[in-house]
Amino acid sequence: MLEVKNLKKRFRLDNKTIKENKKKPKASLDVREDGHWFNAVQDVSFQCDSGEVLGLLGPNGAGKTTSLRMLSTALQPTQGQIVINGDDVVAEPLAMRKRIGFLSGTTSLYHRLTVRENVQYFGRLHGMDEAALEKETQAVFDLLDIHSFADKKADSLSTGMKQRANIARTVIHKPEVIVLDEPTTGLDVISAKTIMDFIDSYRGGKVPIIFSTHHLHEVEKLCDRVVLINDGITQFSGTLDEFKAQSPDGNLYDVFVSLVGDKEVA
Amino acid sequence: MLQVYIKEMLELTRDKKTLIFTILLPTLIMPVILGGFFTLSLKIAKKANEEVLDFAIIGSQNYAQVESELLREPEGDEDPLNFNLITLEPGADVDELINTNKIRFALVIPDGASQAMENGETLEIDFKYNDSATTSGLMFKRVNDALEDLKTIELVKRYAKLGLTEEQGEALGKPLKLVQKSTANERESFGEKFGAFLPYILILVGLSGAMYPAIDLGVGEKDRGTLETLLLTPVSRFSLVLAKFLVIFTTSFLAIFLSLLSFAIMTLMFGPYFSSMMGPESSANATSVLQALTNISVVDILLMFSMLVPIAAIFASLLLSVSIYARTFKEAQNYMSPIMFLVFLPLILALLPGVKLDWVWASVPITNVALAIKEIFKGTIDMGMLAVIFLSTTIIAGVLLALCNWWFQREQVLFRN
Repeated sequence: MLEVKNLKKRFRLDNKTIKENKKKPKASLDVREDGHWFNAVQDVSFQCDSGEVLGLLGPNGAGKTTSLRMLSTALQPTQGQIVINGDDVVAEPLAMRKRIGFLSGTTSLYHRLTVRENVQYFGRLHGMDEAALEKETQAVFDLLDIHSFADKKADSLSTGMKQRANIARTVIHKPEVIVLDEPTTGLDVISAKTIMDFIDSYRGGKVPIIFSTHHLHEVEKLCDRVVLINDGITQFSGTLDEFKAQSPDGNLYDVFVSLVGDKEVA
Repeated sequence: MLQVYIKEMLELTRDKKTLIFTILLPTLIMPVILGGFFTLSLKIAKKANEEVLDFAIIGSQNYAQVESELLREPEGDEDPLNFNLITLEPGADVDELINTNKIRFALVIPDGASQAMENGETLEIDFKYNDSATTSGLMFKRVNDALEDLKTIELVKRYAKLGLTEEQGEALGKPLKLVQKSTANERESFGEKFGAFLPYILILVGLSGAMYPAIDLGVGEKDRGTLETLLLTPVSRFSLVLAKFLVIFTTSFLAIFLSLLSFAIMTLMFGPYFSSMMGPESSANATSVLQALTNISVVDILLMFSMLVPIAAIFASLLLSVSIYARTFKEAQNYMSPIMFLVFLPLILALLPGVKLDWVWASVPITNVALAIKEIFKGTIDMGMLAVIFLSTTIIAGVLLALCNWWFQREQVLFRN
């Protein structure tokens, strides 16, 4: 189980922005700007049980990516707690990385290495021994049907093949939590379907999946739970049905717009 | 860390650009370019020395010996002078003829030249030529050398008039002669003249060997979207920095090592060929220099490498820091120009005449290493100073690596995009 409690992250504004902000009236500043700081995530809390798929929604700049980067340990939270199966991620980020799998639409493979080299490289970095790595590689390649291009260099692959290889890289070390940051953004229909099928295959298992997206049909199809973040604050957290119930006809788009207001919807 | 190092090295060996800048450039391309340039220079000089030069004499009748001296037949194994006299039309514009390359030079012998010579005066003959031609200096030397015998004959005549022997006459104009007796051996002399160029080449090769891998391993990872994935592995950021640093250090040092090895092999293989092209006198000098170079021991070479190891480490940490900071490949490349300048400047200082390794220069980074390599090359290095330079350069490399590590820990740097 994954628990996120009162997560907060602030970044120092660059000097140019601070200077410009001094000249502007206070009312025109972003509500999250505070003197020299930008509070990208102000208060985010949610939880996701094993086998559940949690969809993280929010307009552009709401704090989704920052939240997920904290979950994946890439960023250190300013405040708050992240707990995976009872263990504190913030206190032991290095050790906890072995238990997290992360994939985003922009993460890529080493293009001069083959798929097998890429996947096994990350397996070794996660501390897997050679026997376990070989066994798990076979299993993951079987699952994702990678064998036909396993020994091809990454830069010679189609987008769909790359995505499958990326997924293999994400799960090779058998993570306890999978974090996906807009994994289908910029992908064609077939490649996006590969990701969707992958997420679907984990439903009901032992691993909680958290993924951020702008595509509401993906949420409808895959998610058990929904969290909506706006201006760095959790605006909604509940089951998909509870989310739908916010609108008389259960239309996700209407619910999203009513909660977010007239902010930009990507 | 070892896994990261092995993977980065594997990736780099599969990259054509790295192979070109790290292996081919120092081992083949640079020596071939320099060798080619040297061969071409020698050929141009040889051609300029053997070329038949069309010339004219104005007022030849005033002192006919000049014309006959320039047109004389070679004696014994003497090379032909290769001067071709062109007879000028009356009223011809000599300057125009020279500038349009109809003739290469003209000598203007003034009226009363023979009388002036008889009177023991200095006869001034104008040598008209076009100074913008690259070989004009060589042309003047050829004419001057061809007239040496004539000058000697006239001098002997003048000594005879004064009742002096040739030796006495020569002594007349030189009551005091300072004779140079250098205590430096061939290696020292050669090292002083050319030793500064060796570190200049080696250090720049080290920089170019580090540059592309540094960009690839830093901002290249950001660009390709692999850095974030790497940061999420249970490998400490210090280990990642250290592995990347070691890869860049390896390529930089490998470039230096291959460059030195290639120059050594090329010198041994093609040295005799170049010396044979330089003529008998220069060839003898070149042979003695080659012999002097064989006096450079394995210890000397190891000492040179001991200077270049921390330099390669400095380049690796500096370039990696910059590469990690940059947002894009292009931004990283923009930062490379000032770094090149920062390396060039101290190297040029080491090439300046009068700049010698002392405690002041030993405190100037990069210049001190260039000067130390020169001294090692000459065989006159002060081991105490060498140790201090090694230590100070290593400390600088260590500080830069620590800075690079600190840089790599900062979220503002890693996620600037």
